[in-house]
Amino acid sequence: MTTSGYSYERMFAFSPPRPSLSPELLATLRPVSLAKSRTLPLGEPWRALVPGAGLRRGSTVVVEAPVGLGGLSLALSLVSEASTQGHWAAVVGVDDPGVVAMAELGVDLRRVLFVPRPRGAWAESASDLLDGVDLLLVRAPSRAAHGAARRLMDRVRERGTVLIALSEPRTPWPLPADLFFRVTQAEWVASSRLDARYLTVRVSGRGEAAQGGEHVVVVPNRRGRAEAR
Amino acid sequence: MEQLLAIWIEPLAQEQPDGSTLRDTLALLDALGALCPFTEVARLGLWVLPLRGPSRFFGGSDAVLRAVRQSVLDVVGVEPLLGVAEGLFCAELAARRALIVPLGASDAFRRAQPLSVLGRKDLTITCQRLGLHTLGAFADLERARVAERFNKHALALHRVARGELSEMEGQRDVRLARRLAQLRGEEDLVEEQRGFFGQRGAGDDRAEAAAHRVRRRLGADAIVVASLRGGRAPEDRATLVPWGSPSVSARDLAPWPGQLTAPSPATTLAHPVPLQLRDAADRPVVMGGRGTLSAEPTAVIFSSPLRREIVWYAGPWPLVERWWSRHSRRAHLQMVLASGEALLVVAESSRWWLVGIYD
Repeated sequence: MTTSGYSYERMFAFSPPRPSLSPELLATLRPVSLAKSRTLPLGEPWRALVPGAGLRRGSTVVVEAPVGLGGLSLALSLVSEASTQGHWAAVVGVDDPGVVAMAELGVDLRRVLFVPRPRGAWAESASDLLDGVDLLLVRAPSRAAHGAARRLMDRVRERGTVLIALSEPRTPWPLPADLFFRVTQAEWVASSRLDARYLTVRVSGRGEAAQGGEHVVVVPNRRGRAEAR
Repeated sequence: MEQLLAIWIEPLAQEQPDGSTLRDTLALLDALGALCPFTEVARLGLWVLPLRGPSRFFGGSDAVLRAVRQSVLDVVGVEPLLGVAEGLFCAELAARRALIVPLGASDAFRRAQPLSVLGRKDLTITCQRLGLHTLGAFADLERARVAERFNKHALALHRVARGELSEMEGQRDVRLARRLAQLRGEEDLVEEQRGFFGQRGAGDDRAEAAAHRVRRRLGADAIVVASLRGGRAPEDRATLVPWGSPSVSARDLAPWPGQLTAPSPATTLAHPVPLQLRDAADRPVVMGGRGTLSAEPTAVIFSSPLRREIVWYAGPWPLVERWWSRHSRRAHLQMVLASGEALLVVAESSRWWLVGIYD
């Protein structure tokens, strides 16, 4: 260093202040994949029970319940908040969807595509729909083949969709999921009519969800919605 | 199956380049709609309406046929061919032969038809070589044998021949209703499902492209969209229509007194499954005319020898709607089984049907 006093600080000392950018412009300059945009929102009661309070894009969620014990309602309640906020969903392999129940749960029917009877082509129709929707609810006809499930999950990860697979304890989803809901008990509360169903759900998974926990949620309640107990 | 009156008008079956066909179709639809509001155009040249309601109103089916014939002559100036049978498939065949098939005889009528009515030349020829000349003979083949030999379209035709399906694929033109609505000016030419505030986003376009792919793979009816309409029972309120067909009118927010309240079953069966209810002494439980049960149901038996105990039930909630029609009266019953499932069951025409599962 010489004594001329030249220092690098002087290079910036007189530079004019940088113009401040408008917030909108800043928003477009941020990296594309914000953590927030990489998750789809979850409604009540799941917001408090799922790590990250959302469904991570590209992840696979498995909902396992014995037939008729609330698996479908639970899976639809996972879809409802994202659907309300404008995301598209598709339902593959659910033969006779209860449209009224879906509306009661808060699913926006204008943005749901159904393939009720994929006639043996469930994996193909699911992967056709993957590019077009943000949430894909699949009930495989019987035990899903390992290879088909693997391919579907790979494509889901690549496209950033959320796959929700409905399964039964008899025919489990063949691969481990990022998030796993298991209905262990379903109990109806009834007065002069069916009022509410208390589902005991075990939530587990990978990463933050690994420790898991057992929760009791109400799906559906007196208004047909899902809520915490 | 419901008795239908089919109207076949040959000159309107071929679309003319000057657009007169669609205009005549629309005019005739309005005229026939005044006779019976449930009149629909299955496809160009073929109209269909339920016979039972109008024949009560006009005093006999002959009177309906006369009124229909007269209004076709007035509007189009052509003598129509009229036919009556159960189900669209038989009704169209009856119309083309100008036959009135009496109630209950549609099965025999269908079974006596030659195989060529299915419109599949390869199927007809193969079956004729096997010595099968009528739909009845084809229907008696085992399903598995048909599946071995032919493709899935033939399987669907086999179900039609058996009477399990009431109409053939392609008998209805799903796009026609939309074109008529456009002609009427009720619907914009670019009507689509809209996003928020009527905008279409990139997501909507992507979803549309995906729906197109599924439709190419599985056929026009495979991908459906849902909407709600007015009604009392969940099975009435849901409408599932093939994607791309005209959207049903917006959500009906009118009050429906006596509507079954939430929660609704997450599985609503499009084709209800028959079942039996038994009381403690194992006698069948029946619905009385005044909406009362003959005894407390304690068990439910599905068509297979599958028996479940009922731990709780509520109802019956009788509904008497459209009493002039086939659906004279119904009563709903909610029940919880010992195994934990909750079901929605309906009594109709003195039988019990499973219509919903609270899955």
